Amino acid sequence: MFRPSKIGFALALCASAALAACAAPPPAARQAAQPQTFVISAIPDQDPEKLNRLYGKVSDYLKEQLGVQVVYKPVTDYAAVVNAFRTGDVDMVWFGGLTGVQARLQVDGAQAIIQRDIDANFHSVFIANAAAGIQPFDDISGLTALKGRTFTFGSESSTSGRLMPQFFMNKAGVALSDLKGEPGFSGSHDKTIKLVEAGTYEAGVLNEQVWKSRLAAGEVDTNKVIVIWRTPAYYDYHWVVRPDVEQKFGAGFIQRVKQAFLALDAANPAHKEILDLFGAQKFIETKNENYADIEAVARQIGKIK
Amino acid sequence: MSSSLSSTPRATTWAPQPLRSFLKGGRLVAIVTLLAVAWSAIQAGLFRGDLINVGGWALVRQFFAAALRPELSPDFLLLTLEATLVTFAYAISGLALSLVIGFVGGLLSSEVWWLSRRPHRQSPTATLGSPWLIARSALAVPRAIHEAIWGLFLVRILGLDPLVAILALGLPFGAITAKVFSEILDETPRDALHALLNGGAPPARAMLYGLLPRALPNLTSYSFYRLECAIRSATVLGVIGAGGLGYQILLSLQSLRYQEMWTLMAALLVLSGLTDWLSAHIRHALGAPTRLDVNLGADCAAEAAVRARATSGSRALAVLLAAAAVLTPLSLWYVQPDLGKLFAPRTTMLLGDMLRQMFPPDLSPANVVTLFSLSAQTLAMSVFAIALAGLFGILLAYPAAHPARRARGAMLAYSAVRVFLLFCRAIPAPVWALLILFVMFPGPLPGALAIAVHNLGILGRLIAEAVENADKRPAAALRHAGASSAQAFLYGTLPITLPQSLAYIFYRWEIGMRETVIVGFVGAGGLGRLLTEQLSSFDYGGVTATLIALLILTFIVDLLSTAARRAIR
Amino acid sequence: MSTRAPGIHSAIPTAIFELKGVTVRYGALAALQDVSLRIEAGERVALIGPSGAGKSTLLGVLNGSVAPTGGEVRLLGRDVARLSARALRQVQRQIGTVYQQFNLTPNLSVIHNVNAGHLGRWSLAKAAFSLVIPLERETAARALENVGIADKLYERTSHLSGGQQQRVAIARVLVQDPVAILADEPISSIDPERSREIMTLLRELCDRLNKTLVVSLHALEYAYSHCDRIIGLREGRVLFDLPVGQVTPAMVETLYRIRA
Repeated sequence: MFRPSKIGFALALCASAALAACAAPPPAARQAAQPQTFVISAIPDQDPEKLNRLYGKVSDYLKEQLGVQVVYKPVTDYAAVVNAFRTGDVDMVWFGGLTGVQARLQVDGAQAIIQRDIDANFHSVFIANAAAGIQPFDDISGLTALKGRTFTFGSESSTSGRLMPQFFMNKAGVALSDLKGEPGFSGSHDKTIKLVEAGTYEAGVLNEQVWKSRLAAGEVDTNKVIVIWRTPAYYDYHWVVRPDVEQKFGAGFIQRVKQAFLALDAANPAHKEILDLFGAQKFIETKNENYADIEAVARQIGKIK
Repeated sequence: MSSSLSSTPRATTWAPQPLRSFLKGGRLVAIVTLLAVAWSAIQAGLFRGDLINVGGWALVRQFFAAALRPELSPDFLLLTLEATLVTFAYAISGLALSLVIGFVGGLLSSEVWWLSRRPHRQSPTATLGSPWLIARSALAVPRAIHEAIWGLFLVRILGLDPLVAILALGLPFGAITAKVFSEILDETPRDALHALLNGGAPPARAMLYGLLPRALPNLTSYSFYRLECAIRSATVLGVIGAGGLGYQILLSLQSLRYQEMWTLMAALLVLSGLTDWLSAHIRHALGAPTRLDVNLGADCAAEAAVRARATSGSRALAVLLAAAAVLTPLSLWYVQPDLGKLFAPRTTMLLGDMLRQMFPPDLSPANVVTLFSLSAQTLAMSVFAIALAGLFGILLAYPAAHPARRARGAMLAYSAVRVFLLFCRAIPAPVWALLILFVMFPGPLPGALAIAVHNLGILGRLIAEAVENADKRPAAALRHAGASSAQAFLYGTLPITLPQSLAYIFYRWEIGMRETVIVGFVGAGGLGRLLTEQLSSFDYGGVTATLIALLILTFIVDLLSTAARRAIR
Repeated sequence: MSTRAPGIHSAIPTAIFELKGVTVRYGALAALQDVSLRIEAGERVALIGPSGAGKSTLLGVLNGSVAPTGGEVRLLGRDVARLSARALRQVQRQIGTVYQQFNLTPNLSVIHNVNAGHLGRWSLAKAAFSLVIPLERETAARALENVGIADKLYERTSHLSGGQQQRVAIARVLVQDPVAILADEPISSIDPERSREIMTLLRELCDRLNKTLVVSLHALEYAYSHCDRIIGLREGRVLFDLPVGQVTPAMVETLYRIRA
């Protein structure tokens, strides 16, 4: 049964595996982080490819500004980023409102430091497939139109794709059980657009900034998907930094990180690229207290215990 | 273990012993099973409205249309190659760990080891003692927890490190392997071992010469079966973030880039197919044609050492050992786990931290009520999924068994069904779930379907193998007596293979139960979905309670499955 | 063939085996009842009796693998009930056993099965190493020469005939180099033509190497031709225990008579 040809095959298999392994260096080796590397990460709320492009540029910019090694570590789900922040695998993270609160509750002394101009005044948009026949409305009570419709959120832990929308739906008297079937959790804002556009779900909700940016890029077919309502404003995305970075990189490091972001200037073409990818005009300072409302809402619907 | 389920040719009458004993012992099992399947269908929500989301068909069409145009740009092919190597390297590293655990654990939980240490092992009063019992029980818990859950916990303790994937794969696999290894060791004939022990040889040395060489073909053959499983599990761990093919497939699916996805799935198909094929050939050379012997002690297993052809067997073993010696360090180098983390003070601190958060479990009345209803749902998912997979598995297994005569039509059907089954099992259950969620609303049913499709691929192949190894004489005798091939099949082949097929189905039920969790992660229903919510809410008291519910459920299913397999023997 | 533990050698009084009122019970079944006997160095003893008479159990008691439920067993002068597992192994090294089914590892080469006779002396590491590169080949070759199959050293054991496998098993005992050799129906699984050769080989080796022999047999003719003393067992009891010349056909008939 086991003729020499098969042995030859097995050896060839090992050999080719060995060769291929040499050709492609281990992925871990490429990202091997030295102890004095400032590791940043972000919640995976958009296409991973877009995130890689954006945070690659952010890392380069911070490296130049701060004079330390900066590495972006991609993470696959919301809870995993919070956890990595808690264990200290990453030093600073671009969190959503909810995940930022969850992370700070688990790391004593962690601070919300910087956010975009739009985050202080953030909105979600409810969208619908045009064929569903849901008319746009201005008042929150219009959300009752979702009753008996199929509907998808973004990620379970998304502030703009789940937490605040569910809060507003509750306020309008729409319970999840009023929807047709169970609500979906698409996983990301981009996927929410695509699923509603394709008609998989009649309606969905996502972060307004992602919506605007995809609209501007011409990636949305507005004949197929329309905005039906824009939520009131709330605080959302922000950078949260671990308190121990000052021990690692010296006192005043957090202040220097803040300065680096505040120095981003739309008039400078290199800066503008980053700002555009963030969908912002500029960065502003923020503080932990801005998120007290988010925390309250999260406790109310059980996302913080 | 009766010979009735073994593949040893024995039954020569047309109404074989297996069927008769099956009908006798199995009637209760049959009735209970049918009732359970009916209940599970209702529980899983089969008869509830709002199942199919018609809006999703467009995406499904797009998905299948993309199969014709896979992404073939050099960059992406390179990425696919890299992802394939990562998955393979994780599988090998995890498997290596699991074999070490399996070997040590298998020895310590085998009867023969503890008996060998007793001076008068053939005496009427010889007993096993408590170390054996302790070893047995210590292995039960890691076995009951799915690799993905291990992964989620280890990542909290060890951080983002390849070590997590290796341990998440190696620990539960090690416990499963230990159980099977101990069974193999206990079933290996002990005459030579006893001769050596009676001559005053110490236990370890006596086993080295008297028992292990004889068990080795079966141990190796099972290890290869575990490699097939390890590749599937490494892919699933990829889906939850370890990287490799599973991760890339998830990314492509999340961004709805189907062409990329098909390229990745093709790579997975090739990797999985090659492993299965290699494993089948090596097993044959070792004289152990059965991929997996779930019937505890079939005498065919014990005879593998004798049946193996001397030269091909030992040469195959030598090649395997050489391959393992090369591939294991290579894989470890490729994934680069930080072994230092195992002993780092930070690890201990985080472990303590996590345990503090996990206890006490949230056993508030409201949560317990939720857990009960979700446990019922989860159980229903597993029953419904495996019933479906088993039914179609049996139907597809017959065309999937290698036809005796190489007629063109039969060969064509054989190849088509084999590729279909490979496709079903190569794609991890969570990816199936994501695809099914395009056209179905979230809930237990899509999860059950995903588990069903994945297990169909595994069961179909296992049963096909049972058909291939079955005694062909009864069917041939019927054909010679003028029966049509359909009649020969019904009276000759089916009765012989049915008990073994059912044993496989019950065995996969145990696995299906564990898999409910991972389809839950991607939004299908049951306890897995609850666990996802709790993990994303950092509600660790709740997580502990859910895990306890899962453990209890798993133990119940294992007990029922073992009892059912015993009854239909 | 070397190294006999000197301590045990000097501890041997005259009796190799000494049983006093030994009983072995498996649940309700008494495999041996009140068996007393004494076997001196250099004796050639045949155990005969119908199936189930307790021959194998008695041999098990003699090689230390079966502990009696009652009575006293002395192997090489040591009371087995007082021996630790380790000390018992020391005693067992001086008692070699040949089995009806050979009890070899079929998928190992002959040399490893023969070398298994060293295991009581070899360290675990040495034993493991020898499985890769066989050690003490000369000793093994000499043992095989002694049993008449010198050319089979590297053959796979399962490829040999029954008679040849029994010779391998005897070679293993030779390498073990015990004081006494027990043989449990050594010729029952072998062609009749080869049976005489095996029995003669056993007898000759014991004579030449000065070892005590206890052999259980179905074929009475070999008990008469190859042994000096015959013990008749029936239903776990010793029916007679006499020199060959004193065993009468009537005694043998009683031994094998079907119970009314």
